[in-house]
Amino acid sequence: MLDVIIIGAGIAGMTAGIYAVRAGKKVLILENKVEGGQIINTVDIENWPGDLGISGVDLTRKIKEHAEKLGVSFDYVDISEIKKDGDKFVVISDDGEEFMARSLIIATGTEPRKMSEEQTVSAGSRPISYCATCDGALYKGKKVVVVGHGNSAKHEVKYLEGICSKVYNIHHDEPIPEDAEAVFVAIGRVPNTAIFKGLVDMDSEGYIVAGEDCKTSCDGVFVAGDVRTKNLRQLVTAASDGAVAATEVINYLG
Amino acid sequence: MELLDFYADWCGPCQMMKPNVEEFAKAHPEVSVRAVNIDDEEELAEKYNVSSIPCLVVLKDGEEVAREVGVLPVKKLEKLVEKAK
Repeated sequence: MLDVIIIGAGIAGMTAGIYAVRAGKKVLILENKVEGGQIINTVDIENWPGDLGISGVDLTRKIKEHAEKLGVSFDYVDISEIKKDGDKFVVISDDGEEFMARSLIIATGTEPRKMSEEQTVSAGSRPISYCATCDGALYKGKKVVVVGHGNSAKHEVKYLEGICSKVYNIHHDEPIPEDAEAVFVAIGRVPNTAIFKGLVDMDSEGYIVAGEDCKTSCDGVFVAGDVRTKNLRQLVTAASDGAVAATEVINYLG
Repeated sequence: MELLDFYADWCGPCQMMKPNVEEFAKAHPEVSVRAVNIDDEEELAEKYNVSSIPCLVVLKDGEEVAREVGVLPVKKLEKLVEKAK
């Protein structure tokens, strides 16, 4: 039996792992893609103290190596169900594999909000991307459109203007221009919390409700990082949550 | 079986994918794994209609039988190829 299962290997989850393992706890981090989370798309980080300009990939590799050296284990599965069985938790993968622990830390982060059905229909068979820095260069000299008008959308427009011949910028309720060859969507993010419905309280947008102590409505379940209700979602606040959540786990386990 | 891994040097998720593809290749010598830099091999990327990377394409007898876009852990990469066998 594990002491704690951390779901999500982003900055919050890996930091929680480091804190829990240093307190002598048996820790497993479950991830469904790769470590790092949202930050792997960032080329140049300017707000992580001590490493000006480090890439998200390099920072992720450093933190993962750090966590592994201290004894944190990682496994890669899609989770289909989480059951509370008395005072323990059973996490079940889509292959039917079961992981058991006395506590959970949810650190699943957010994902890009998907384009509306209407707009998707108007895009037809044209490619839809949620990451301009990943896919922009595939459309060198071509016409593209960015959906959204927030800060991240503005950033994507600016980035694509350096590559593409024309960059349209439309709202989330406008049709896709006919001559755009690809659609870049930047209309905000949504929390990855579908599998936790019924286990913990969420707000109207699906973020898991918890204060600065990272305690959820369910005893033994803690939440860290962007997926928690909070005002500032940054690398340092994710790391901070990881430390707090792990410390609360340690207190909870006694 | 062949596995094509379309990537680019400027793509963070592709860099995260690289060690996974290498680990897969080591464990599965029966699958011929090829990393395709889309900047150097634009024609191949176009032939396979790659519109988002990382993009993994599984070929059987030269024909595409499976595809996945985005980062994948080794386990899922194995499943993708296994299903296509």
